[in-house]
Amino acid sequence: MAKILEGPAMKLFNKWGIPVPNYVVIMDPNRLEQLGEANKWLRESKLVVKAHEAIGGRFKLGLVKLGLNLDEALESAKEMIGREIGTAVIRQLIVAEMLDHDEEYYLSIAGNRDGAELLLSTKGGVDIEDNWDTVKRLFIPLDETPSIEEITEFALGAGFVGEIAERVAKIASRLILCFENEDSQSIEINPLVIRKSDMRFAALDAVMNVDWDARFRHPDWDFKPVSEIGRPYTEAEQQIMDIDARIKGSVKLVEVPGGDIALLTAGGGASVFYSDAVVARGGSIANYAEYSGDPPDWAVEALTETICRLPKIRHIIVGGAIANFTDVKATFSGIINGFRESKSKGYLENVKIWVRRGGPNENQGLAAIKKLQEEGFDIHVYDRSMPMTDIVDLALNS
Amino acid sequence: MSILANKETRAVIIGGIAGLNAAKRMAQFDFLINRPLTVQAFVYPPEEGQHKEIYRGGELNNVTVYSTLAQALAENPQINTVLIYIGAARAYQSAKEALESKEIKLVSMITEGVPEKDAKRLRKLALEKNKIFNGPSSIGIMSAGECRLGVIGGEYKNLKLCNLYRPGSFGVITKSGGLSNEAMWLCAQNGNGITSAVAIGGDSYPGTDFVTYLEMFENDPETKAVVIVGEVGGTLEEEAAEWFGKEIRRIKLIAAIGGTCQEVLPQGMKFGHAGAKEGKKGLGSARSKMNALREAGALVPDTFGGLSKAIKQVYQELLATGVIQPEPELDDKLLPALPPSVQEVMKQGDVIVEPLIRTTISDDRGEEPRYVGYAASELCEKGYGIEDVVGLLWNKKLPTKEESEIIKRIIMISADHGPAVSGAFGSIIAACAGIDLPQAVSAGMTMIGPRFGGAVTNAGKYFKYGVKEYPNDIPGFLNWMKQNVGPVPGIGHRVKSLKNPDKRVKYLVEYVKNQTTLHTPCLDYALEVEKITTSKKDNLILNVDGTIGCILVDLDFPEYSLNGFFVLARTIGMIGHWIDQNNQNSRLIRLYDYLINYAVKEERPVPEKK
Repeated sequence: MAKILEGPAMKLFNKWGIPVPNYVVIMDPNRLEQLGEANKWLRESKLVVKAHEAIGGRFKLGLVKLGLNLDEALESAKEMIGREIGTAVIRQLIVAEMLDHDEEYYLSIAGNRDGAELLLSTKGGVDIEDNWDTVKRLFIPLDETPSIEEITEFALGAGFVGEIAERVAKIASRLILCFENEDSQSIEINPLVIRKSDMRFAALDAVMNVDWDARFRHPDWDFKPVSEIGRPYTEAEQQIMDIDARIKGSVKLVEVPGGDIALLTAGGGASVFYSDAVVARGGSIANYAEYSGDPPDWAVEALTETICRLPKIRHIIVGGAIANFTDVKATFSGIINGFRESKSKGYLENVKIWVRRGGPNENQGLAAIKKLQEEGFDIHVYDRSMPMTDIVDLALNS
Repeated sequence: MSILANKETRAVIIGGIAGLNAAKRMAQFDFLINRPLTVQAFVYPPEEGQHKEIYRGGELNNVTVYSTLAQALAENPQINTVLIYIGAARAYQSAKEALESKEIKLVSMITEGVPEKDAKRLRKLALEKNKIFNGPSSIGIMSAGECRLGVIGGEYKNLKLCNLYRPGSFGVITKSGGLSNEAMWLCAQNGNGITSAVAIGGDSYPGTDFVTYLEMFENDPETKAVVIVGEVGGTLEEEAAEWFGKEIRRIKLIAAIGGTCQEVLPQGMKFGHAGAKEGKKGLGSARSKMNALREAGALVPDTFGGLSKAIKQVYQELLATGVIQPEPELDDKLLPALPPSVQEVMKQGDVIVEPLIRTTISDDRGEEPRYVGYAASELCEKGYGIEDVVGLLWNKKLPTKEESEIIKRIIMISADHGPAVSGAFGSIIAACAGIDLPQAVSAGMTMIGPRFGGAVTNAGKYFKYGVKEYPNDIPGFLNWMKQNVGPVPGIGHRVKSLKNPDKRVKYLVEYVKNQTTLHTPCLDYALEVEKITTSKKDNLILNVDGTIGCILVDLDFPEYSLNGFFVLARTIGMIGHWIDQNNQNSRLIRLYDYLINYAVKEERPVPEKK
């Protein structure tokens, strides 16, 4: 799953012939001034300025400004660039033509197990959720492409008429092409607008997800996926992602500000159950973390140190199922080194550590980490006979 | 009984090193339950024709690597299962070919990061062909007492702890690989173990689903209950609930669902497997799955921690209703122990292995090489030189300063003797023929023998003998040599003579005698011998080999080490000649005819062969 920003999505739309408004992506307000001199549309159209960052609820945060002329847009750009929102900093803006339009439609496509589903409504825009019952669905079986006649039929069924139905069908057929050929997971255009005076259509806003695992067959993907957690990645998360990209196996981290129980858990399945156990017992997690696939010890060490630096944590849950092939001794040696290093830097003061794990070389791994008790760590070590998530209960009851 | 994998299963693994490691783990299971090897072939084009060594217990098997699946199947018609370990970019093609092969009934893919579209296409193809495509991202399939596909079950010890050597009564289906192992353990601890366990993988669009396997388990009489471990995202758990609730099922269903934490996390914050993503409006949430399963009659604990109790409860019910009989635990000692490697046994001190070689000079098992105990870097730090390393490695002694100086001089004056001598000439011919350095230097080295440079050892040896046996009787020594050896090694020179002495000999003798305090009985003896031999013939002087040999004997080097000084020194010269010829880009050379006396028969007809 990889969400991509509007800019790269628009570029892909252009590639496949889906109409988009004129737009530019800028990192520096002065650049907008230069572009204004060169582009008539910037000087003559009403503009919309949006933060080009993976931040949810941009409108409420004042990160979307509508109906501006170039000078006003410049003013907004100066205001927005460099603004700090939580842990994020606004670095990029997208400035687009605000198309005067008569109607707003909804058009989207999303993959499912057997192919994909095309969704279409004449009542697009911000109220789409309320008008969800007007949305018509067209199932597209895997590796089949519906004919333009079929799509036109579908558009007519969704309430579009005459030439508009034909034009919408054409745009939908291009959307299907884009979806198929770009290994997309979902593309949502809301709204798709029309200016009837010249029958101009444009996708005013779009959310696109591509299958990042398919990037090996898309050499022209010049973008990186953005955070899907409603905010840009923190520096620590970015560092762990950079390590993850380089190693066999994987290490993952998501920070959850405000929590006091840190997770240093193994495996994509077990780690979620550990989060559940904390929440079910009324605790609050400080992060989500996962290492799996027998990652090298230095990667686990880096993950450990990052987790030890999380503010205000009281417990660290070093949990995991009985591993199939992740070497407990090797990965634990990374964790042990990470704990030692963190302690020497003054972290882990009054932090209790709870360990439960099984798997290859479990006896050696558990014995080694238990030895941290002798070095003054408040660490509690359990083997496979302790039910997997029960260390969470022990931590919260301590 | 079991599902998917059984005693008849024979597999081919497509992939490289990860596949090989899986095959080794699988063979451990084959050994535990004493079944034939499951993996019968590999497909991996870069290693076509190789054989991989797979131990089934102590029995070594060689499993062939093929470049295509078709070839592997043609030569191994017994294969009915394909395991895919190859990288994501090639996984689709491999699985497609496997599903299209007549003999193959089951394809299981461990490859992670496979594009969704590829997985969807493979699922569709499998459905069309009425075959099973399990995965991607599946750790594998385990049928207790029958067959292991993949590394599912972990290390050997765990196979025993989870009672996987014999079937139990619980089926296991999980998305996660790690949790499949955990669930097998829970079934062994709280029940009587598993029949089969399948990991379907945590991707968004796995090739199979819970219902696929629930139906199989329902039709497997040995399976009495099934444990499923699901998670937020998708609708596979809801479908399982629907299937379970639709009619009265023979099997009991226990389910744990992960991802309830997402209810309280900041909006949009999602993690875990690729497929663990909640849809719009709460569709596919952990809570909706749990509710659906409960409504359908499944036992669904609130958290994973409740799974143990749930399994125990179901097991007790099954016992109480007589559906299953309690099975006595097998004594762990009755199960075969995996033959340990020699290294492991030696560590425990349970075996004595006679060493193949013995060394007394050098050890690099630590952080750096140590010569007779001294760390190389420390020798450098403390100002020792190459002569001292020679002393340590050849004679196990650190020479004194004076001794080092002598050794250094011996090497320096022996390093080269121009291009005309046999050794250098051999290296030069080789260099001109385009031969690489080590071989060209070896060509020169092969010249060292009784007539060229190889007299140092024998000279030292016989003068030492003279000192010992004929201390004050040079004529007696010479007489003994004449009768038993022949000409005295180290005496005589082709060019030099008493009137035209060898400068190197003169220098060495003077240096050792005048500038050092070395006690030189052997050198003195040789000089006495020289006096007598030169009185007979002018060129029977003590030559450089003899001089060096005697000095080295006086330095207390072992006599068989003495030629080494010539070899060592002259290597420097030969390498020099090789470099020199290469620098000049020398061409291939051959002897001119006028340098050869063709003492052969005149040209004549070849007779008919008789």
